[in-house]
Amino acid sequence: MNTGHLLSRERWEEAVEGLIRDYKIYAPVNLWGHMDYERINPENVKQIVYNFPRPITPLKTFFLPVKQNVSQSTVNEKMVILGVPSCDLQALHLLDAIYLDEKLPDTVYKKRRENTILIGSDCHQTLDSCHCTTYGINPYPESNIDILLNLIGDKIILEAHTEKGQDLVNNILSLVKSSAVEENTRQEILAAREKTKAELFNRNKNLPDYMTTGKLIRETNGTIWKKYAEDCVSCGACAASCPTCSCFLLIDRPGFEKIRNLDTCQYPGFERVAAGEDPLKPLSQRFKNRYMCKYVWKPVRYDAVACTGCGRCIDACIGRINKNELIVELMDKVTV
Amino acid sequence: MNNGFNPYDPVRARLIDIIDESPNIKTFRLEPEREFSFKTGEFIQLTLDGIGESPFTPSSSPYVNDRLDVTIMKAGYVTEKIHQLKGGEILGIRGPFGRGYPVEKFYGKEVIILGGGCGLAPIRSLLFELLEQKEKYKKVTLCYGSKTPTDCIYKPMFCDLNKVENFQCYRSVDVADDTWDGHVGVVTTLLDQINFRLENAVVVVCGPPVMMKFGTLKLLQIGFDPKDIYLSMEKNMSCGYGKCGHCMLGDTLVCKDGPVYTYDEVKNYDHIW
Repeated sequence: MNTGHLLSRERWEEAVEGLIRDYKIYAPVNLWGHMDYERINPENVKQIVYNFPRPITPLKTFFLPVKQNVSQSTVNEKMVILGVPSCDLQALHLLDAIYLDEKLPDTVYKKRRENTILIGSDCHQTLDSCHCTTYGINPYPESNIDILLNLIGDKIILEAHTEKGQDLVNNILSLVKSSAVEENTRQEILAAREKTKAELFNRNKNLPDYMTTGKLIRETNGTIWKKYAEDCVSCGACAASCPTCSCFLLIDRPGFEKIRNLDTCQYPGFERVAAGEDPLKPLSQRFKNRYMCKYVWKPVRYDAVACTGCGRCIDACIGRINKNELIVELMDKVTV
Repeated sequence: MNNGFNPYDPVRARLIDIIDESPNIKTFRLEPEREFSFKTGEFIQLTLDGIGESPFTPSSSPYVNDRLDVTIMKAGYVTEKIHQLKGGEILGIRGPFGRGYPVEKFYGKEVIILGGGCGLAPIRSLLFELLEQKEKYKKVTLCYGSKTPTDCIYKPMFCDLNKVENFQCYRSVDVADDTWDGHVGVVTTLLDQINFRLENAVVVVCGPPVMMKFGTLKLLQIGFDPKDIYLSMEKNMSCGYGKCGHCMLGDTLVCKDGPVYTYDEVKNYDHIW
């Protein structure tokens, strides 16, 4: 299936315009210096940014919107999400394990997943907070994609990875001219991958791997959580920007309708029960809870990583809490 | 789930009766629009239309599936509104969810039940289950404690149970009044009064967190194996089927792996009480 097709950027953009009729297309666009997913239309198709690291919004929001009526069986339109980075695709392993559990899947999530074509891209650059390789994730998609897309020079290279992806590639090839991918282009793709990987590795070589991080967090109690939590204001930005944080709360509307609102253990009252007992009442407990969930509990329960090293939580924190600094500090305190 | 089943869509149920159990506890009898079966100890989400939803373990017999009793203490926003209902209203039920009491593991054993306050609600359902096949259990001993005699719920049940062969009930109150000539003290003190063979007994504990904590500590002190102590864990479940993350207890989810756990299964987690 992975034979690959090469298109000039111009032809590719024509093809995307052609697809706008049938799909809602989202791709990273540079908005006032911030890279985020935008709905693509004929006016902004040329502004799509390729092979850039993760957009501000995590991929999860396409499948788990901040607020959604889960009582109504809405027919979702077909979506194409373009330029998805590896860290966000990796996060789908965990989200799928939670939401697509065989016995009782979440139909609303399932439908959105099924109606979406994911086009992943390699990261040719890195951001300061990126650290996917620390947790064994390569900065190029290896799973959960329908199509792999890369821009090399002014050429777009498309590679179908699933049947659904192949159908879309065929559709594109019927719209515009393409050619086979030459060996030197393949080599360029591989060289870019190695360059990004080396960059990430060198920058983050002081960080422990995922398993060790889990051990450090499990063995630590007390002061360090209180110390870092002093700068936390429970805003929940870390969880909102996280590609794997997916907790929610159901809100009732008349007519027995349920509205699913994304929620986080960082908010007060997350675990409060009827008579007011709340194990996560102290802020430092809530702060620690998120780390325990990501590095200790979720990986055991779902056999998937719950932190993909995207670094969004570091950039989003208004208290400037850098979780990697905390983890490095743990290394000094705990022997594992 | 397939065939259009949406786990977020409650089954409608008419409120057919309200029984006052104590000054702040009432039992609400519901008649679901279609058959609704559950195993003892499993829980439901009860929706008050447009107001909210809360998790409860039914207090009625799992052998009855055309009606359902839910015993509710006035403790928060939703339960306060539920207590204002007059009867005849339509409510919503989702579920049943979770893992209830593994009664088959109790066969041939002495079952000691330690209940406190409104924690007697799930226990009443368990008692109905035990009564249904009473020959399977060696002996059933209920120890129930309430704050005062007026806080005691299901009062008529105690007399009825004491008439059943191999069933015995003991009651205590934390604070006595003029009507009370029974045992005074926290419910765990009843354990000193009852006879059992430790090696062939299991204990079911259900009540407020502080009672569960001290109850469990006392049972461990007596020498019970953590695997023989069954606890009902209370968490703020929202979705009920393992998605929303509100009821994580370590790497388990109370809505799927609980609400009934053995102490052995939860003893290593933080903040269990």
